[in-house]
Amino acid sequence: MIYHALLFAAAVVFAMWAVMARRLLTSAIMLALVSVTVSLIFFNLGAPWAGVFELSVCAGLITVLFVGAVSLIRHEDEKHPESRARFYALPLALAAFAIAAWFYLPEFFDALAGWRRMASGGGTIGLALWDLRRPDLLGQVLMLAAGVFVIKSVFPRRTEK
Amino acid sequence: MDKGLLAYLLIPLLSAVVIPFAARNRPKLADLLANVTLLAGLVNLLWLALRPSVIAGGFADIPGDGFSLLLVSAVYLVGLCVTFFSAWFLDEKLPNRQAYYSLILVSVAAMTGVVTTTDFFTLYVFIEVLAVTSFALITTDDSGAGLEGALKYFFLTFPASALIIAGISVLMLSLGSLSFDALRVFMASDIPSGPVTFGAALIMLGFIIKAGVVPFHTWTPDAYQGAYAPVSAHLAGIVTKISGVYAIIKLATLLRFFDGRAQALSGILMFLGMLSIAVGALAALKQTDFKRMLAFSSISQVGYIVLAAGLGTPLAVMGAIFHLFNHATFKTVLFLNSASLEKSAGTTDMEKLGGMEHSMPWTSWTSVVALLSTAGVPPLSGFWSKLLIILALWEAGLKTYAVLALLFSIVTLAYFMMMQKKVFFGRKSQAAESSPEVSAPLLAPAVLMSAVIVALGLLFPYFYTYVKMVAERIIL
Repeated sequence: MIYHALLFAAAVVFAMWAVMARRLLTSAIMLALVSVTVSLIFFNLGAPWAGVFELSVCAGLITVLFVGAVSLIRHEDEKHPESRARFYALPLALAAFAIAAWFYLPEFFDALAGWRRMASGGGTIGLALWDLRRPDLLGQVLMLAAGVFVIKSVFPRRTEK
Repeated sequence: MDKGLLAYLLIPLLSAVVIPFAARNRPKLADLLANVTLLAGLVNLLWLALRPSVIAGGFADIPGDGFSLLLVSAVYLVGLCVTFFSAWFLDEKLPNRQAYYSLILVSVAAMTGVVTTTDFFTLYVFIEVLAVTSFALITTDDSGAGLEGALKYFFLTFPASALIIAGISVLMLSLGSLSFDALRVFMASDIPSGPVTFGAALIMLGFIIKAGVVPFHTWTPDAYQGAYAPVSAHLAGIVTKISGVYAIIKLATLLRFFDGRAQALSGILMFLGMLSIAVGALAALKQTDFKRMLAFSSISQVGYIVLAAGLGTPLAVMGAIFHLFNHATFKTVLFLNSASLEKSAGTTDMEKLGGMEHSMPWTSWTSVVALLSTAGVPPLSGFWSKLLIILALWEAGLKTYAVLALLFSIVTLAYFMMMQKKVFFGRKSQAAESSPEVSAPLLAPAVLMSAVIVALGLLFPYFYTYVKMVAERIIL
C-alpha cells in the first residue's frame, strides 16, 4: 500500500515538475517519468498490458519525438524565455484540490467500488477492453489511414512554400 | 455495430486508400473516384429506404433502428454535394488534391462508423478520427484564418474528448459494460442511477462541447469562417452534427429522459439548448460576414435539436431527428452558396456585397429556399421539424420554452432577411458588376439540396411515417 501511495505521489510531483520546468527538455523528461510511474501503477494493479503500452508508447516513443522536436527548436527557445509567473499558482491549486479530495474522493471511490461489484457479472475490465472489442479495431484502422492522409495533405504544401 | 451498414464504412475507406495510388499522375481521377464512390453509396441507400414496396409497408422493412440508415444517407448526401462542388472549385495547382479527397472519404467512413456503432468506446474512436480529419481539412488552403480555426477547433474540442473518455471510464466501472443496450436496460430498471448517470453526464458534456452548444461555442464561428470554403459546408452541414448532436440525441434516448430518469440532466440540457437558440440568433443579427453569420445560425439551430433531445418525449425526439436531417440540407446549401460568392466576388463580407441577385440569380434563389426553411416557413421542411419540437414542448407543459422557441424562429427569419437584403437584393454593388454567376456544376449541389428541402416539406406525411418508426424503435 505504501509502495502504491509513493508511486501516486511521485507521479503527481513529476507531472507538476513537467508543467513548471523552465526548459522544454526537462519538461519532456519529466513527462516520461510520469509515464514510467503510471506504468508501474498499472503493473501493481495487475494490468500488465496497459503497463507495457504505457511504458513503450508514452515513456518511449513519445519521449523520443519530444526530445527530437525540442532539440530542433532549442536555439529559438533559449532566445525567447517564457514568463513562468502564472504557473506558480499551480502548487496552490493542487494543494486545494488535494484537501478537497481527501474529504470527498474516498466516499466516491467506495461508491464506485460498490457499483463495480454489482456489475461484476459482465466480466473483468480487461476482458471487456481486450476481448470484446472488434468494431473499434476498424476505427483504429481508420485512424491510421487518417493520420497518413493528414501528413500527405499538410506536408506537400509546406515543402512547396 | 450495425453489420448491415458496414459496407458504407468500408467502401469509402477503400476508395480513400486507392485514390493516392490511382490518381498519382492524373489528379482529376481523384475527383471522379470520390464522386462515384459517394454517388453509388447514395443510390444504394435510396434503394434501401425508398423502394415502393418499403414505402407501401410503412417502412417496417427498414433494417436496424432506421436512425442509422437516415443519418448514413445524410452523410452520403452532404458528402456527395461537397465532393461534386470541390471538383470544380479546387484550385488546379492545389498540391494535395488526392489527400483532400481521401480525407473527405475517411471522414465519411468515420461518420458512418459513429452512427452505426453500438458501444461507447467504438463511438469514441470514430469521433477522434473525425476530429483528426476535420483538423487537416480546415487548413486545406493554408490561409492564416484556416490555421487559426483549425487550432481553435483542435484545442477546444480536445478537452471534450478527455471528458468523454473519463465518462466512459466511470460508466465502465459502474455499469460493467460499454454497450448502448446495457445502458438502456439499466435505465429501464428501478436501480438508483447514481454513478451511471454521472458517467453519462460527463460523456454528454463532451458531446455538448463538440456540438458547439452555448457556452462552449467559441470555436465554431472561427472554424467555419476560416475553413476552406467547401470544407465549411462539410463541417457545418454534417461533421459537427454527427460528432456532437447525434450522440446527444442517442444518449437522451438511452437515458430515458421521457420517463423522468436523470431529470436534472434533462433540465440542464434543455436550458443549454434554449440558451444556444437565443445567443446564436442574437449574435447572428450583428454579424457582417456571411459565413460567420451562418456559423451563429448553426449554433442557434443546434439549440433547437438539443432542446428537443433534452425533453426526450417521443414527439420531441421525432422533431430532433427531423431537424437534424433538415439542418444538414439547408446549411449545406447556404455554406455552398457562400463558397460560390467567395469564388465569384472574392469576398463574403456583407458590407461589400449587394444586388448580387442580378448577376447570380441561382445562388440567390437557392439561398432564399434554404433560409425560409431554416426560419421555419411553411411548407418547407424546416417548418415541420420546428412545429414538432414546439408542439412537443407545449404538450409537456413547457409553455415558456415553446413560446421562446417560436419567438426566436422569427428572429431567425429577421437576420436571414437582413442578410438576403444586404447580399442579394437591392442596388447592384461594384462587386455585383464584376461577379458572374458560377458555372452550372457548382450550382448543381445547391439546386439538388434545395429540391430536397422542398420535397421533404411537400412529402411530409411520408417522412413523418419514417421518423415516427425511428422514434418508436429507438425509444422502446
